[in-house]
Formats: sequence, structure tokens, C-alpha cells
Amino acid sequence: MPPLLSADLKRPAVRLANVTKTFGSHTAVRDLSLAVPRGCTYGFIGPNGSGKTTTIRTILHIFHPDSGEVEVLGERSTRAANDRIGYLPEERGLYKKMTVRRVLAYYAALKGMDRADAAKASTEWLAKMGLSEWADKKVEALSKGMAQKIQFIAAVIARPELLILDEPFSGLDPVNLEVLRAAILELRATGTTIIFSTHDMAMAEIMCDFIFMIYRGNKVLDGTLADIQRQFGEDTVRVGCGGGAELLRGLPGVEMVRDLGQLQELRHGDPQALLRDLAPRTTVRHFEVCKPSLHDIFIRIAKPDLQEMQVPKTTGGGA
Amino acid sequence: MNKVWRVAATEYLNAVRSKAFIIGVLAVPLIMAISIGAQFYAQKKTDVTPRRFAVLDRSGQLYPALAAKVQARTDGLRAGGKSVSVALKGQSLKVDLPPQAEFVVEEFKFSGDDLKAAELQLSERVRRKELFAFVIIGPNVLDPRATNGTEVLYHTQTPTYQDLPAWVENTLSGEIRERRFTAAGVDSKQVRELSRSVTLLRLGLAEQKATGEVVQAKRENRIATLVVPVGGMVLLYLVVMTSAPALLNTVLEEKMQKISEVLLASVAPFELMLGKLLGTVMVSLTLSALYLGSLTWVLWRFEQLSNVPGQLFAWFFLFQVLALLMYGSVFLAIGAACNEIRDAQSLMFPVMMVVMVPYLMFIPVMESPTSPFSRGISLFPPATPMLMFLRLAIPPGPTWWEVVLGVVLTTAFMLGCVWASAKIFRIGILSQGQAPNLTKLVKWVFSK
Repeated sequence: MPPLLSADLKRPAVRLANVTKTFGSHTAVRDLSLAVPRGCTYGFIGPNGSGKTTTIRTILHIFHPDSGEVEVLGERSTRAANDRIGYLPEERGLYKKMTVRRVLAYYAALKGMDRADAAKASTEWLAKMGLSEWADKKVEALSKGMAQKIQFIAAVIARPELLILDEPFSGLDPVNLEVLRAAILELRATGTTIIFSTHDMAMAEIMCDFIFMIYRGNKVLDGTLADIQRQFGEDTVRVGCGGGAELLRGLPGVEMVRDLGQLQELRHGDPQALLRDLAPRTTVRHFEVCKPSLHDIFIRIAKPDLQEMQVPKTTGGGA
Repeated sequence: MNKVWRVAATEYLNAVRSKAFIIGVLAVPLIMAISIGAQFYAQKKTDVTPRRFAVLDRSGQLYPALAAKVQARTDGLRAGGKSVSVALKGQSLKVDLPPQAEFVVEEFKFSGDDLKAAELQLSERVRRKELFAFVIIGPNVLDPRATNGTEVLYHTQTPTYQDLPAWVENTLSGEIRERRFTAAGVDSKQVRELSRSVTLLRLGLAEQKATGEVVQAKRENRIATLVVPVGGMVLLYLVVMTSAPALLNTVLEEKMQKISEVLLASVAPFELMLGKLLGTVMVSLTLSALYLGSLTWVLWRFEQLSNVPGQLFAWFFLFQVLALLMYGSVFLAIGAACNEIRDAQSLMFPVMMVVMVPYLMFIPVMESPTSPFSRGISLFPPATPMLMFLRLAIPPGPTWWEVVLGVVLTTAFMLGCVWASAKIFRIGILSQGQAPNLTKLVKWVFSK
């Protein structure tokens, strides 16, 4: 993580203060406060329907909060900063009948970019993404992966100061994923603030400086990965043993066994006691006490949703 | 406002560069050209095989005259093709009439009184293609007081062919009428002269100039009093209705393809809506400029342009813009509120009922443009653009205060439509799930 100056932290790229947004009787976001420092990558995580998209749309002033304050790139409660924001929504949308070059020119024009700058930028980005020969083809002729890269170019073509990416890697093959990841890291290196919404916890762990988790409209996590892991203690154990997950699930004190194939990840309040329990029963090949992964933390918080599928809803609020 | 223009320009260029627009522009003249061409082609393909028919003249007096007329007709056809000339000021169009088949007549001699046997015999000849048809002239056909045997019977296997029976009917009727006059001792030429119908001349009103000179009333010009008003109104309706409903599809498509959210990250919903609306106005104005330009050229070519008052063009464009903004905003709102074309269709129904009002009401307005009904309906804002235009196009036109009131009311109504549609558009454009009903749309309009 690059060093963040205190001055930058004082003037965050995005600041939400006690924002609440309701739709009818449903509260999508409740009393949310958040500060996204400039130049960092901020991961937004949370189960489906937890309020991530509402938060993003509020930052973009597509939605107006019922209460609270939204400040983006120094502009308070107006769309004035929107030309400096790039946005890649989760559900991609491109004009199928337009050529790639014209789509990019239109999206750039809507961000206030002049025609010559837009043409130059679109040529550069298409070359970078390996799509130069598709510039004059209609969007409907592109594969899903190509269309996704075009959508990404549309989001970044106007050189935004703040880039909001909602599931940027979904549906991409590993090669295209790496191309896109490299482009995002390059933008971050040049000072672009990136808000990155994802369900891929491993990707969030390696790409984000900060993680924000929203659950049922409430902020439940906000901080660096290390801070968050610290909150959840060192009760995670990775075990490789004969009998695997089946054996481990039967042992006292073992919770949340996750089968990783060669290894199993679990939680136990006293790892030493677990090792003592295991030794007489089976051969232990691997035993590692580690910090909980983001995936594990996510499951711990969002687990009630799965339980609620069987029992009636109890209360709102986060974990 | 800059973004509004960018959206409008993109919408405009997307539309005018599309194949649909080019086909749409060319469709009307193309369909006309194809239909005219097809008619000429079909005329050339007319079956001109001679039609032979037999006549059983039970009156015993008419066959020779009929045979002579058949011969005269044949001679006329062989002398050269017929044509008609359409004369307009300074120009004359010669149109060839379609070629016609010759008729060949033969007399069927009938001895005895078994008419059924004769009918059967002739019918067999028709079946064997020796004859095309046969005619039986009743024995008392010349007697105006007779009640039986006065008909002329026409038998054929091809009832769809009209030329022969029509010619036989006309020719025999004329011949029989002449003979009846002669038998009654009446001079048929005198009868024709005495029964000639009067000619009605349609005129406007006489005027008196400031100098006191009285200007005679001018002869009514059907182009100026009928073709221009109705044609202009229909064209106005056409250019509005080919452009405004397309907005619904555009917005719905953007919503279904998830483009709306990307756009809304860059432009405010109202800017987006206004841009689309202005883009459509520009498309429609292009369309009407092309059509009106072509029509103006045709009228000028045939020296009929003086029948179109110049200010009518200005009224056309003004009412077109008002109608487009009014209807277009409503279609935009419906498109934004729905998620599927099926949902949109159910909401379209009440809107289309209102939009159809001018089309359903134009005939009574045209017939009596100053009646209380015409005045009232032309001040009903959704109908004003078409019906007030129609009234303006029919001389002498409505009073000035009616026109001003119509424009003011329509402008106010249009602004109301844009305001309400903007409210619906703002909420609807990102809404998902079940399409709202009318009650919900009204709630959206009055929501904060």
C-alpha cells in the first residue's frame, strides 16, 4: 500500500456522513458514514441486496439520500464531480448497433471530453486492451470478454479521478482478467482513487487497501485488511490430515469447516487443544494457525442470511 | 445544457444514420413509385384475347345494331390506343389507357320455343371455349310497359371480367332508349338537350378594396380548400407519429440493455430525457423538411404553389414541435417506467386513444371549421396541433385569439407533460420488477 498523506486523508475522495436511503418500507442503507481516501483502492463487499449498489448510486448522485451528506471529490451534494468519476456498473450496457469507436466517443463526450482527446484516448486504450482491429466493428459483433473490456475503457476514457468498478472481473477468462487487473493497478499508480465492488474475496484481499462491508444496509466492516483480521482474532486453523473434513467436523470445539481440497480451514477457540485431539486419531500432515481470510470473515458475518432461509427473519442489523 | 445537446446530437445521428430512417424516408415515395409501376406493368399484361359472344335476340330487332356497334368499337381499337390528358397550369400529362380486348359477336338463330335447350346448347359452347359468353335479349325489351320478357340475360363462365357485360349493358340501353323515344314520337336529341344538368360553380366571397373597387369572388380551388388542409394535417400527423413513439422503444431498449445506468452516471435524468426529446424533434423536423421540400418542388413544378399560404409552413413546424414535445415526453415516461415491451403496450393504450382524437375528429372540423364543436375540440391541447393547423389551412381560418389561445394552452399542457414525464422518468429509468400501473405513475409524479 502506498503511503497516504495525512492531508489526503483529511480530504477524502468520497465522504458519506450518516447517509440513509429507503425505498418504500425497505431501508437499503442505514446511517452510513464512510471516507474513501484519495489514491487508494477501496473494496466494497457484501452479500447480494445488502446495499452496495445503492451506496454506489448514492456516490454517483443517481440516488439522493433521504438524510445525510454526500461529498465526492470535494463537491457536496451535487453532480458537479460526476465528470471526474468513471463507472463500470455490474450489469454491462453498450449500444449494440453502434461501432466501438462511436460508443467510446459518446461516453467520453458525456464526460465533457472534447472529440480529439476522446479519439486519441480511445485509440490508446483499444491498443492497450488488444482491441485495435475492433474499433470500427459494431458492439454486437464482440465477444462477452471484449465487450467487457470496451465497457471498462468507456469508464476510464475520460481519465477519471475516481473510478467505481462493480464486479469488473466477472465472466472474464484468466488472460483478460490479468489485462484488466494490470490496467486497474496502472490507474491506481497514477493516483486514481478506485472503489471496487466484488464478491471475489481473494481478489479483494490482494487488490484493496481498505475493505468496507455492508450487510443489510449497515456498515459492518471498514478498515485495512490487517485491521479487520485483527478484529476477528487468530482462531483460524488450516489442517491437512487423514479423514479430512469428515473427521474434523466430528471433533469438539470445531466450527465452520471449509474444505479446500488438500487442506481444511476451520475455526477453533484453542488450536493447541485441537492438535492434541487430532494427534491420536489421525496422521497430521499440515497444521497452521493463521488469521481468518476475508472469505471466512464474510461468511461469519453473512451466515445469518443462509440460516434465515430455514427460519423466520429475526432482527435487522449486522453481525 | 451542453450534455443535453450531446445526447440530442447522438440520438439524432443514430437515428438519421440508421437504415430504418433511410427506408422510412424513402418508403412513401418508393411505395407510390412501385404501385404506379406495378399498375403500368399489369396494364401491359392485360389479356387482350378477343372475346367472342353469341346473341340470341328474341326481340328480333336489336342484333344488327349491336353487331354494328361491335364493329365500330373494333375499328376504334384498331385505329390506335386511347389516352387521356391531365392538364394542370402550364403542364400536361398524357396517360395511356390500358389496352382493351376486341369483341366478336355472332348471332344465335333460334327456332322453336325450347329456350332451355338453347341455353344449354350455348352453355356447352362456352364450356368448350368456343364462346366467352352469350346474351339473350328478352322478346319485350323494347316495350316500356311490358312486365315480362324485358330483361337482357348475360351468361358466362368468367363473371369477374367486367368489360363485356358493362359494354353490352351500356350499348343495349342506349339503343333501346333511342328506339323507345322514336316509337313514342319523341325527338331524342331534344330530350337530351332539355334534360341537360346544370353546372354548379363554387366561388369564394366578393371583396371591396380600400379604393372602393369591388373584387369579384374567385372560383373555389379544390387544391387550396381541400387538398392542402387535409394533406397538410395528415402529413403533420404522420411525421409526429413516426417519430414520437420511437422514443418509447429507445428508452426501453437502453433500460433492457442496462445502458441507462451508465448514462445516468454522466448525465442527470432530466438532461438525458430532454436530450432524447430534442434529438427526436430534430429527426422529425428533418423528415418533414424532406417531405415538405419535395412536395413544394412538385407544387412549384405544376404552378400550384400559390395555393399554399407561406405562413402555413411556419404553423406546420410550430405545431409539429409542440406535438412532439407533448407526445414524446409521454412516450419517454412510459418507456422508462416499463421493463418489457408487453408492459408498455398496456400503458400505451390510453395514450393512443388521446393521440387518435385529432385523426378521428378531423372530418367534422373540416366540414364546419367555425362550429362550436370545431372551436372547442381544436382548443383541447392534445388535439390542438393537428386540428388548429387544419382550421388555419382552411380559408379564411380561425380568429387570431383562438390561435393564440390554442398555442398558449398547448404550450402549457406540453410543459406539464414534460414536467410529469421527467418525474416518472427519474424514478422509472432504474426501476426493476413489475411494471407500474397508472395509479403508481401518478404517485411517482407527485413524489418528492
